[in-house]
Amino acid sequence: MKKAIRSDDIGSYMKSIGNADIIVGIPSYNNASTIGHVVRAVQAGFAKYFPEKKAVLVNSDGGSTDGTMDIVHDATIENLQSILLSHKVNPFIKIATPYHGIPGKGSAFRRIFEIADSLGVKACAVVDSDLRSITPEWIELLIKPVLESKFDYVAPLYQRHKYDGTITNSIVYPLTRALYGKRVRQPIGGDFGFSGRLAKFYLSQDVWETDVARYGIDIWMTTTAIANDFKVCQSYLGAKIHDPKDPGADLSAMLYQVAGSTFDLMGTYASVWRGISDSQSVPTFGFHYDVGLEPVTVNLERMIDRFCLGVQELGFVWKDVLPRSLFEFFADLTDVSQKDFAIPDEAWVDTIYSFALATHKKTLNREHLLRSLTPLYIGRVASFVMETRDSSSNEVEEKIETLCEVFENKKKTLLNDWG
Amino acid sequence: MNIIERIMVEPLERFYEKLLIFLPNLLTSLILLVFGFLLGVFVKWAFNRIFKAVNLDGLSQKLGMRDALSRSGFKEPLSLIISRILKWLTIITFIIVAMQNLSIPTVEHLVERMFLYLPNIFIAALILILGYILGNFFGRAAIIASVNAGMASAGLIGKAIKFTVFLLSCTMALEQLGIGKDTIVIAFAIVFGGIVFAFSIAFGLGGKDIAGDFLRKKMREPKGENDEIDHL
Repeated sequence: MKKAIRSDDIGSYMKSIGNADIIVGIPSYNNASTIGHVVRAVQAGFAKYFPEKKAVLVNSDGGSTDGTMDIVHDATIENLQSILLSHKVNPFIKIATPYHGIPGKGSAFRRIFEIADSLGVKACAVVDSDLRSITPEWIELLIKPVLESKFDYVAPLYQRHKYDGTITNSIVYPLTRALYGKRVRQPIGGDFGFSGRLAKFYLSQDVWETDVARYGIDIWMTTTAIANDFKVCQSYLGAKIHDPKDPGADLSAMLYQVAGSTFDLMGTYASVWRGISDSQSVPTFGFHYDVGLEPVTVNLERMIDRFCLGVQELGFVWKDVLPRSLFEFFADLTDVSQKDFAIPDEAWVDTIYSFALATHKKTLNREHLLRSLTPLYIGRVASFVMETRDSSSNEVEEKIETLCEVFENKKKTLLNDWG
Repeated sequence: MNIIERIMVEPLERFYEKLLIFLPNLLTSLILLVFGFLLGVFVKWAFNRIFKAVNLDGLSQKLGMRDALSRSGFKEPLSLIISRILKWLTIITFIIVAMQNLSIPTVEHLVERMFLYLPNIFIAALILILGYILGNFFGRAAIIASVNAGMASAGLIGKAIKFTVFLLSCTMALEQLGIGKDTIVIAFAIVFGGIVFAFSIAFGLGGKDIAGDFLRKKMREPKGENDEIDHL
């Protein structure tokens, strides 16, 4: 295949394909430098682990101008013997198609779900297009639990630097776990496996004009799967290394969309999480191994300055959201020296629950409210970095576990205030 | 007899005739006044219930109006304040109608002019209220965005945006009322242009070194100064 499938002729192309067994989707936007590797890894994964299945790779593109879709068409492993394959392999189908609607990962996923649904696939997976550490085994680990163990949703499990995934570690994972009772460690990991049945269910939901169409898609997929009683597991994929993010990427926009989606889902599934008081681990697949990770640079002084600026200027917003004692605690924190700067777990959990409640009760304009969380989040990250400076990965995991317990213990207070 | 009749009786008769015409009008006007007052009380009660049902006070809290009102000395909730305004608007409207009903030419003329001017007052008030709400909204958005961008002068930026939006609405309101139409527009243009010009000079001359330092830093920002945390 040499040319991109245009959106208007994709229907007839689908008809010519008929049905398929598995589909792997890659959302992209200007990822020409990395997507070739991802496509080859997926091809190798199909060839190695699913040689007899009819497999489709779908690139759902957001209008790249750097030739991403051309790279998708051209990228291929010419000689399968180079990856030690000698058995007969079914040729796989590649589709590169632009998506329409709100620009964002969620809209790209919607296109993939539509194609999966029309091909009637049994299992699907989605992987990011900027991954450098993806291997063919990722495809096996994301697809096989669905095909062979009848799971509906496979969340990823990565080894990450202790300072990475801070929104996940400090908000999304503990909150999702406390609310829905499932210990899915990377609920917004970005690389997921799921059944055709679940893809159909996702498509039927009326969320595609909301923040779910953007960064909110990951938490929405995970929460929807858990809250609707789909069978959930996780697979250990090793390290997650991807292209460095744009340093100018707006943290507050990211936080707004992820936290906003998480809080909105609390409203949607209130009847589900009300009755859950503890959490259970989910089945985990994959072989655990340690990976050397690149060091991460953190500018603590600047982080604390941002926190102090927030406390100084955004008090008028927070005083309607946070309990008075908590606001006073943050105000006092601006006077302490850097080495004594700490936001304890209890204060952080109260903060997140207060913001969730304020979003639910519409205390303030939603965007103003959620964006004003950014300085507090930066303060918490600074506190966490200082607390774990000399900790090993396991010790950091223990600290996250402790935070999760505080989230679970304080859930009763949240329930009482939720109304 | 004839003279007395013409001097005394005829005017009294004419007065009596006019009184006969005027008295029913007066009575109608009095009824209109009483009805207007009762309707005003009802309007206040009804709108207070409606505003409570749509949670106007919650919305005013969200938009920061409640705090602003309480800072300005209004301790009552917004729903009550607007209901009261509507009550008095109803009463005033009926007073005007009642006055017109008296059929006194001077009063009629005055009332007619008042009626013609009244929409301007309403629109001007609406512009002011809207300007205040938008000023607060954009001011808050600006301050949050500036804090998240790490700008030390975030508070100042927020206040400047809020003030500018409100100033713009004041200008529009005064223009609507026809008070110094051209003067207001020219004054606004001078003030606004002056502020922009002052900023230009301040940044161009006063902040020359700061701007230079900022650009130099941006052009060759030392590696490792930025956070490399992957937040998601």
